[in-house]
Amino acid sequence: GVAPLGAVPLQKEHQSQFQYMESAFYHMPHPSDSERIRPYVQRTPYPTQTYYIQAPLPLSDTLEFYQRLATETLFFVFYYMEGTKAQYLAAKALKKQSWRFHTKYMMWFQRHEEPKVINEEYEQGTYIYFDYEKWGQRKKEGFTFEYKYLEDRDLN
Amino acid sequence: DRTPFGPTVHIHNGVLQVRAPNYEDPPGLVEKTDFLLREWIGIYNSQPQGRDTTKQFTMFVHQMNVHGILKTDDLITRFFRLSTQICVETVYRSLTDKSVTMNLTRAKIYHTLDAFVKLVALLVKHSGEANNTNTKVHLLNKVLGIVAGCLLQDHDTRVIDFHQLPYQRIFTMLFLELNSPEPVLETINFHVLTAFCHTLHILRPCKAAGFCYAWLELVSHRVFMGRILATTPHQKGWPMYAQLLIDLFKYLAPFLRNAELAKPVTMLYKGTLRVLLVLLHDFPEFLCDYHYNFCDVIPPNCIQMRNLILSAFPRNMRLPDPFTPNLKVDMLPEISYGPRILANVSIMITPAQFKKELDSYLKARAPVTFLSELRSNLQVSSGPGVHYNILLMNALILYVGSQAISHIRSKGHTPNMSTIAHSAHMDIFQNLAVDLDTEGRYLFLNAIANQLRYPNSHTHYFSCTLLYLFAEANTEAIQEQITRVLLERLIVNRPHPWGLLITFIELIKNPTYKFWSHEFVRCAPEIEKLFESVARSCMVQKTL
Repeated sequence: GVAPLGAVPLQKEHQSQFQYMESAFYHMPHPSDSERIRPYVQRTPYPTQTYYIQAPLPLSDTLEFYQRLATETLFFVFYYMEGTKAQYLAAKALKKQSWRFHTKYMMWFQRHEEPKVINEEYEQGTYIYFDYEKWGQRKKEGFTFEYKYLEDRDLN
Repeated sequence: DRTPFGPTVHIHNGVLQVRAPNYEDPPGLVEKTDFLLREWIGIYNSQPQGRDTTKQFTMFVHQMNVHGILKTDDLITRFFRLSTQICVETVYRSLTDKSVTMNLTRAKIYHTLDAFVKLVALLVKHSGEANNTNTKVHLLNKVLGIVAGCLLQDHDTRVIDFHQLPYQRIFTMLFLELNSPEPVLETINFHVLTAFCHTLHILRPCKAAGFCYAWLELVSHRVFMGRILATTPHQKGWPMYAQLLIDLFKYLAPFLRNAELAKPVTMLYKGTLRVLLVLLHDFPEFLCDYHYNFCDVIPPNCIQMRNLILSAFPRNMRLPDPFTPNLKVDMLPEISYGPRILANVSIMITPAQFKKELDSYLKARAPVTFLSELRSNLQVSSGPGVHYNILLMNALILYVGSQAISHIRSKGHTPNMSTIAHSAHMDIFQNLAVDLDTEGRYLFLNAIANQLRYPNSHTHYFSCTLLYLFAEANTEAIQEQITRVLLERLIVNRPHPWGLLITFIELIKNPTYKFWSHEFVRCAPEIEKLFESVARSCMVQKTL
């Protein structure tokens, strides 16, 4: 360090400012203080060994990346990271894999076969869906998917 | 500070209301507020996250009406003050409760504060008629003033037990709420930005040092930076953001100037460097425009911090590699254009009498006494460790330089090594170089080096000036100091300003300066090695 103009002792007001700053230093802002609440996946900073990956992979916030994730991962992101960009990308990726969201059951459905009935109001047939309570995929035969419960907003 | 005007009046009123001595509330108001606030927190948190709260809000406003809170402006502001204080008290109580984990404590705190913030945001949004922006903005300013007042009061009474958390969360979340993509909010967006900037200025680290880390988080929040620097048209947010950075630099200055950084200072300093890096990468034009104002408040020894600012250049410009052999700076088209300087340098030259004498000397190149009195005009006796008026020095150098450029142009020439010589302007510079003591000359040369940036007329003029002063120096001490100022800005880590590199390379490469024959180059083996390594990196290496 250099002080080409010579050191100047701190004035009284600066000493007092330093005291305030020092006590604030012991309770620094936490990353979550300036973020929306994360009900399930909270931030718990911990000093991990440097030979572990410290930052997420580059481009891991793109749709292409999400499309490479396992369906179950996408469901996890969808249900446990509400209101985030991750949730939005997961929903987009699921839609690309022909999953459709049912707004009444709040579950994702995928046709298991061509529906037996298709009309203006609904379609009926065998579906695979993801049960977030049992946390697994289930099959449902003779299910009626009413279109009024179909989430069909354009995700852009 | 000036007397507040415009929207700041309401903020200041809010602050004053909290800080007024013996502030008494009508009987029962505390209880009513407490009851209503807890009711609202309950309602808000029984809702699933992120759901629309409009219906609950309408019912709640009805309840507030029933309790007479919305009757007068005074009662509303009292309600906000009491609510803020109740929320903050709740936070302090949670923080002392060691029986639960910190994650749970935080969740509890966030639930309380977020509910309060939502209430404020909804009240601001729905106050007055839909298209009456005045009422909304007025209310927002009032609330921000009240929260700021509570903060200052809390800060001064709790001293080392003060916590930044509740205030940081209220400000951040309120800012995010008011920047949601909604038409009503879009129309008042600039007012919202202004209100937050004023509030942050009132709460600048000099005034609330215990809030400094949260303050920097707020100032550097990505949404805040984006809104104020990128999305607001016509760069209308830039002056406000520049003011906040100046507040930060001014606060840091006394701590940085002594170069012995305690941990709390280092932390804030690192944060500041990060903000500057973001600005250099994303908003270089902003740093270009305000470089003068920033360099004025950054202590001379903060070399890297200043280099970050001086290295900024407009994004549409392509800088020629300074290491290109036989680079002809004179031939670059950019050097005929002056940079934008958003500081009124001319009025910073005080007193008025000195300015008058300066102008008449520049015109008539007389009387010579002006030169001999220059030094005493720049010296100050007050204050320990400071012997010169640095602000005046900086203003004088830039003013004389830009006057010189227009003078040379008015005669149909362009500035170069011969046209800059033998003029009233160069008299002043040469006189300063010779007549000032080491400290004064250091500040003088720094003021010149602060203009060595991207290719523009100032960079070119001051680069020639510095080289001319080196060539014409009557003592080796001046040359040594010129070398020192250039070198100390180059031996730090990147980035290095383009004009600085150009000037230094010219100095060591051009045989007319006989750089290598000077004694100071070989005064010590480590200095000699240093020069050799710099020379190597300047002459050969291309991939720096």
